[in-house]
Amino acid sequence: MKLKTSQSIAGFTLSEMLVSLSLSSIVLAAAITSGVALQKSFAATDNYFSTEMQQIRIIDYLNRDVKRGLIVTTSVDLQSVTMRVPKYIIQAGDPEAIADPEAIGMPRTPTVAYTPSGWQVNYSPDTSTTTVVYSISGNSILRTENGVVTTIASSTDQLVPQTTDVDLANTECANTSVTFSPIFTSGGAVAERTGTSLYATAYLRNKRRG
Amino acid sequence: MQISQRTVARGNVLLCVLCTILVVSLIGGNVLLNCVTRYNVASSQVRSWKESLDAAETGGDIAYAEVRKTILDPTHAFSSWTYSGGAYTNSPVTYGTDNLSTSSRVDPFYYDGNGNAWYRIRTKGTAPVLGLKRVGMDDRMGPNTRGDSLLRKIDFNYDHFVATYGPNGDGIGETLLPVSNPQISRRVELIAAPITPFEAAIKAGGTFYGLGSAAYIDSFRSTTGPYDASVKTNPSDPRYADSQAGTVELDSSVATIMGYIYGNVYTNGGTVTKNTTSISGIIDNNVPFTISPFIMPSTASWNYVSSPATVTPNTTITPAAPGSAAQPNYYLVTSFVNNGSLTVNPATTANGVPLETYVAIHVTTDIGSSTGQGPSFTIPAHVHLEVYFDGNFQTKAENIVNTSGYAGNLQFYGITPTDPTVQQTVNLNSGGGSTAGFAAVFYTPGANFTINGGPDLTGAIVCKNFYANGNVHWHYDRALDSEGDAVDYRVISYVEDIR
Repeated sequence: MKLKTSQSIAGFTLSEMLVSLSLSSIVLAAAITSGVALQKSFAATDNYFSTEMQQIRIIDYLNRDVKRGLIVTTSVDLQSVTMRVPKYIIQAGDPEAIADPEAIGMPRTPTVAYTPSGWQVNYSPDTSTTTVVYSISGNSILRTENGVVTTIASSTDQLVPQTTDVDLANTECANTSVTFSPIFTSGGAVAERTGTSLYATAYLRNKRRG
Repeated sequence: MQISQRTVARGNVLLCVLCTILVVSLIGGNVLLNCVTRYNVASSQVRSWKESLDAAETGGDIAYAEVRKTILDPTHAFSSWTYSGGAYTNSPVTYGTDNLSTSSRVDPFYYDGNGNAWYRIRTKGTAPVLGLKRVGMDDRMGPNTRGDSLLRKIDFNYDHFVATYGPNGDGIGETLLPVSNPQISRRVELIAAPITPFEAAIKAGGTFYGLGSAAYIDSFRSTTGPYDASVKTNPSDPRYADSQAGTVELDSSVATIMGYIYGNVYTNGGTVTKNTTSISGIIDNNVPFTISPFIMPSTASWNYVSSPATVTPNTTITPAAPGSAAQPNYYLVTSFVNNGSLTVNPATTANGVPLETYVAIHVTTDIGSSTGQGPSFTIPAHVHLEVYFDGNFQTKAENIVNTSGYAGNLQFYGITPTDPTVQQTVNLNSGGGSTAGFAAVFYTPGANFTINGGPDLTGAIVCKNFYANGNVHWHYDRALDSEGDAVDYRVISYVEDIR
């Protein structure tokens, strides 16, 4: 008996190898370039949306406090906002909290006082109010209430809120715009920042004091 | 026999395809997760957060409407609400295509010096949050920050507010309350304050004519001192600002203004004519308003005294007890003769010291007529008299004697006729060129009000049509803006409970 072994081990010729290497290099380079571009695009888009969400958050925080505020004052550069809001919740250290620690975190019963400008509702025995400040610190937007600092937004996209307060007969409104410079753009052109503008206007629900 | 053995070396195409699909799927899944998170935040969570405030404020409007009914339609106020523990609550109201729901709690937390209730309205608005709850919130901001968590406070599984502060937010009844679907609730607290009638010197719902060419309306504030006629033309006087509030408000375009007005003039579409340069304040011809009809307040809690029921030419009332603004001594008078003379004295202590005494009189007939000397009212200091009348009112200005000089101590209320064909009238004349006047206020929203002659008046008037042809000297007391029975309510305080 004669065994016949047929081993079909085919190789490539040099020319085939060169052609295939060239083609695969081109394909691989295209794939890598596309992948990197896609990844950068995704990261940029993800970052853009993330910053946009923070724009919305800044506006929502600010408008919430403006609506319940008693007076709003903006700085000269329009980048810092100070407002006074009622002392609705009993805080640690307040007279009520000293008398009854269980009262911390609970709402106050308002008091009523007649003033030369009419009736006034106060949520603090001494008619004092809580001061809330919005400011910029580096890449972060800070909200400070009773000395407690909360970072409400933080981005390398240079978020900049600007607020103007407009006094009306008995009330006041705050016009706010928030812009940022998307990191995937270059040059820092003004148009790139203004293109991201988000505007909002909020009115005090209370009669303005001061 | 010949055996042929062939060995074929091939790559596993299926494995390569599966790996590729896996990689692409991972990328796609990551992209999708990010997109859904962003979509959830932008389209669902932010929207729900805003809508829940809309719902809360809607609940505030519903409750505010009920509060207004306590004045304008008392029999139907809080008619379908539950009263318990000193507060009214309503069942949740669901509305809108997004199934927003709201509920409110209303309690009178304060009574002012006039006995008017102030209402606290606590209202809650809830909006469902659509989308997959497993996606969660957008908290990716930085390593030490929490993004939306502190702001939007979404209840994914349990109502965080009830669990932490109880259903009423007062630390009572905290419980773990599951929610059927993710939701956002926001709460606001409103304070509804009574609107008292005398916020301007003259307020008319209809036409206005007057005053005389040498007449004037100015103002002062009795809490800072007595009236001084020289203040209104002396800007350096610290009381000057209080002298420029002799405001005239008209819900009509028909206004003929004469004399000098040290205050503002408001009309509804009017063109103020004649001597408008003698108005010290602003003229605004676009200020519409509504004066509600006046109905007799509930006397259920008042201290009813049966005698006298008739006012004769010599009737004196001396209450046994002083009463209070919320619970005055109440007399029902069914006959007030044309020359009736009513004197109300204060209650006194055993030693004869007068007490601040509160008296309300409801006269169901006319007071005075066009003949004779006319009826008279006399109140010494310490008396706070409110006169409610169903019919017409006519007398001479000098017949109204308020010794205290404070107009808020003598208040006249004309109950608006229910028959629209009946025209109520109030006529005040000054006999024989007398300049003697009075200190009193009139709230007669359904009455045509006429003043003849040139009396010196301290007070305020609310009426339908106003006519005056004499050289009246009218002094509005700014302290009156907190006096009188509530005629409506307004929301004067707003605070959101951000816990």
